[in-house]
Amino acid sequence: MSIPLRVPVSDRRRRIAPFIVLGVAIVIAVLFVILAQSDTSRNDSVSSFLIGKPAPAATGTTLEGEPFDLSRRKGSWVVLNFFDPSCRPCVHEHPELVTFHGEQQALADGAELYTVINRGSDADVRTFFDTNGGGWPVVTDPTGAISVDFGVAQVPETWIIDPNGIVRQRIAGEITAPFLSSYLQQLREQGL
Amino acid sequence: MATVGWKRFKQQWPGWVLLAVVAGLLLAVGITHDSGPRTPEERVEEISKRLACPICDGESVFESRNNASASIRTEIKAQVAAGERSNDDIIAFIEQRYGAQVLLVPRASGLDALVWALPAAVFVCAAAGLAVAFRRWRRAADTVPTDADRALVDAALQIDSRGADSHEADSRGAEDRP
Repeated sequence: MSIPLRVPVSDRRRRIAPFIVLGVAIVIAVLFVILAQSDTSRNDSVSSFLIGKPAPAATGTTLEGEPFDLSRRKGSWVVLNFFDPSCRPCVHEHPELVTFHGEQQALADGAELYTVINRGSDADVRTFFDTNGGGWPVVTDPTGAISVDFGVAQVPETWIIDPNGIVRQRIAGEITAPFLSSYLQQLREQGL
Repeated sequence: MATVGWKRFKQQWPGWVLLAVVAGLLLAVGITHDSGPRTPEERVEEISKRLACPICDGESVFESRNNASASIRTEIKAQVAAGERSNDDIIAFIEQRYGAQVLLVPRASGLDALVWALPAAVFVCAAAGLAVAFRRWRRAADTVPTDADRALVDAALQIDSRGADSHEADSRGAEDRP
């Protein structure tokens, strides 16, 4: 004679288990879909909420003591280059800006180039420009207000603003003269 | 079984009600607590502690010494001094320019709300699961064997002892054999 000593497994548990597994699988699938479709472009250094919008009010003083007001530059294409003399990519990029500036000066409707600095003493920046060339205005931004208005965290960064004062492009990192010139030409051809 | 649970509940309900009232009061105090008017310096500190340095990992704008964070702190000071924007508005201003990655404390809306909702949901599910498990264990502990259960166990023990005796006899027989 044998007596069943096996402990019966709860049927209810057996019935519930697939639903729990299904629930967990659905949650994981939903999270996967959300992450796969999430907008990663906001980490892209060249995107900005300012593109296509009026440029922020940017005022300051040049190294020569002249007042600078970006809103008064309407009517010309403006290129703003955020710069720091102690940043190696900025120093590496500088000869390209010198070439670009020369090319634009040769054009009837050449873009106006401005450098914006919020680091380093005026004397250091002046010495750098005297040594490495660059005859365009350098705007000092001692409080960093212009940088914050444009959302510039790392230099070098270059912004293109059209003659209507609308921000057209943000370029993070080093640029070259041919790239900047051709990009500007494309924007000109696209029209305002 | 249900009677035992009901008896227990009747004995313990004042404690549970007291616990619920205290928890509710503490929550109400926490939600409505206002430290009163704050100085501009405190506001600047609070805002800059809620923002991440845009170019370094794991540091707030308050702690970071780099140029970008210094500029953001100066901007916060200027906006606080102007007194036109609330703390949240100033944070939104910085976020708009530098992106959502500068938020050290995630927003409680949109997809970011999952950061808050998921742990709470997991906590509730875990608490409910534990409550169910505890209840089941208590029920199992409360089970009193019936006469039929006892008879079943006795029968099993008898069979077991008979089997053991016969096994012992078999072993002895085998030893006696030449």
